Amino acid sequence: MKFKALLTADGVNLLDKRFLPAMDKVGRICLMYLTKEHTMFLHNLSPSFGGGDGVQCIAQFRKDVIFTDYRISSQNNDRIAFVIDIALLHRALRSAVSILRSGGGGVGDELHIQIKLVKKLPAGAAHALPYLSFETKGYKSAVIHDVPISKPLSRPDVIELQSALDASRDIPETLVQVPDMIHLQNLVDKLRNVGELLNVSITQYGDLHLHVSTSLITVGSEFRKLKVLGIRADAPNANQNLTPSSRIETAIQRGAAQTVQVNMKHLAKSLNCHMSKPDAAFYGIAPMGACLTMIFQFFIPGTRQMDNSISLHCRLPVLDTGSA
Amino acid sequence: MAAMAADDNDKPDLVCHLDSVQGMVDALTSVRWKKHQDAVMELSEHGIVLIVEESGCLQAKVYLKRELFVLYDYSAEGRPRFGVSLGLLVDSLNTFSSPGYTPVIEIQYPGPDMQLLLKSVDSPYACTYAEIRTRIPDTISWDYNFETTGNVPPRFTLKSALLKEAIDDLEWPGSSVEIILKPDPPSVTFRSEGHGDLEIEFPYYGSTELLIGFHCGHLVSHRYKYKFLGAATKHIPSSVLKDNRGSKFTIGRGGMLKIQHLVSVGRIVRNQHFFGDPVTSGNQQPSSRIAYIEFYVKPEEEED
Repeated sequence: MKFKALLTADGVNLLDKRFLPAMDKVGRICLMYLTKEHTMFLHNLSPSFGGGDGVQCIAQFRKDVIFTDYRISSQNNDRIAFVIDIALLHRALRSAVSILRSGGGGVGDELHIQIKLVKKLPAGAAHALPYLSFETKGYKSAVIHDVPISKPLSRPDVIELQSALDASRDIPETLVQVPDMIHLQNLVDKLRNVGELLNVSITQYGDLHLHVSTSLITVGSEFRKLKVLGIRADAPNANQNLTPSSRIETAIQRGAAQTVQVNMKHLAKSLNCHMSKPDAAFYGIAPMGACLTMIFQFFIPGTRQMDNSISLHCRLPVLDTGSA
Repeated sequence: MAAMAADDNDKPDLVCHLDSVQGMVDALTSVRWKKHQDAVMELSEHGIVLIVEESGCLQAKVYLKRELFVLYDYSAEGRPRFGVSLGLLVDSLNTFSSPGYTPVIEIQYPGPDMQLLLKSVDSPYACTYAEIRTRIPDTISWDYNFETTGNVPPRFTLKSALLKEAIDDLEWPGSSVEIILKPDPPSVTFRSEGHGDLEIEFPYYGSTELLIGFHCGHLVSHRYKYKFLGAATKHIPSSVLKDNRGSKFTIGRGGMLKIQHLVSVGRIVRNQHFFGDPVTSGNQQPSSRIAYIEFYVKPEEEED
């Protein structure tokens, strides 16, 4: 099992400034999954790999986005997965960058941060342990940072991981584009004071409705006429004069909407993905109300064209209310 | 005619529009001294009054005059009163405000189920709303009628920032604070004894910029529980401190203390014109859009 690659300047920026802070907020411990074509950071993908009933978060990069001189080999069809502490990974990366900068080199073409899997015998230990090692060569010095990782996943575990990953890629039939991510994040921060359970409704007309309801108060927000991907329908004219709640009820009766209840903490945690600076966000509800899916889009810099080499999405578990 | 009469009956007691949610949040937060706190709201043609009470010894009132609202459509007869959770009201008002965005919100009472309804009305395609359950208000157990002694009661006005700092400092010595007004030389002293002694004196002629107004014909001294004075100053909004406003203390019959703060409820920049009724809109100058906050603190009973 071998893995060795050089980090690109863009990759360092993407990880350091955007994705690692975001992923760290979602959960400190994650799975890092390397394949011949992709590098992935996975949260809560499956209970077998330390995941519980929390937010699933999947960030995927095509290998050339963050690496160059990429070499990987393993008996699991050249796939390697291990558990890593994102905060430690981020610390090692930042440290490597600072060494390059302090040495007079900028984060530019001369960037030389090599990342590789190693096994080392720590002082006082009987057995060698696995590490993800960062080797930084500045002008005057070379520094090695070893980030401890779990023992890489076994062949059956990697196969199970891959199938869990494939299953997580199911896209809801209807997705609506969130109008203003900052406003939404701010709203959810405020709604957290009101209650712990959030009802999320999405219609084929392009409506997104969030509301918290307790015995004393109902607070909600409705966004209408949003961009719809997938199955869409025209809103009936009579819709205009209804209250947000009755609009959703009518849409559900017509089979044009779905409602799920999610944990407010899960939603707030997922919204940390905004730290990765996505250009657009789409929300959808999986068939049978299985989960709430958030898909974040990234554009190729300077264009409005989607960058297929980076993807990020979250799946929020739906609370069993008995009415799903 | 019958249809018109029916329409009139359906008309809520109050529909008003507010363009400064943050100002209202500030004003209401200043009387929120604990997380779960019940309040009574009283509506009238002059505006809205929110009343909060604690242990029969402290009462606070927030006066939101009709001029603070860009629209104030009052249709009730008499003065409707209802109980509401202050915490929920503040938290739900907070959901409307976000940095860089000042929505116009509509406040309506009652809703179909006697709720207090709030909703944003400035965008056809995005709406935030809240429905807050109300209850039959508690009877006020103790009447806080503030009666003055003589024509001009003892009073003084301190800069709010200074007052807050002084009351914060008085926390450590003990559970009660004596307020002493001396006419000659004119000065105000806050004195607290307990684990230690702390006395903070504001001589009138020493710092006229801090002690702004002072009137006292004879020596006046009363003790108040620290927790009530603390409640009256703990949540003075930062806008009051920034505006360099003063807080006015007046001592009434029996030592009843009235503390008044002024909170700006005006928008700093009016970048849009709302389609509200110009007659009821009132003066839109931010400086005149002030919410009055009053605390009434009962003195500690004298030991014989």
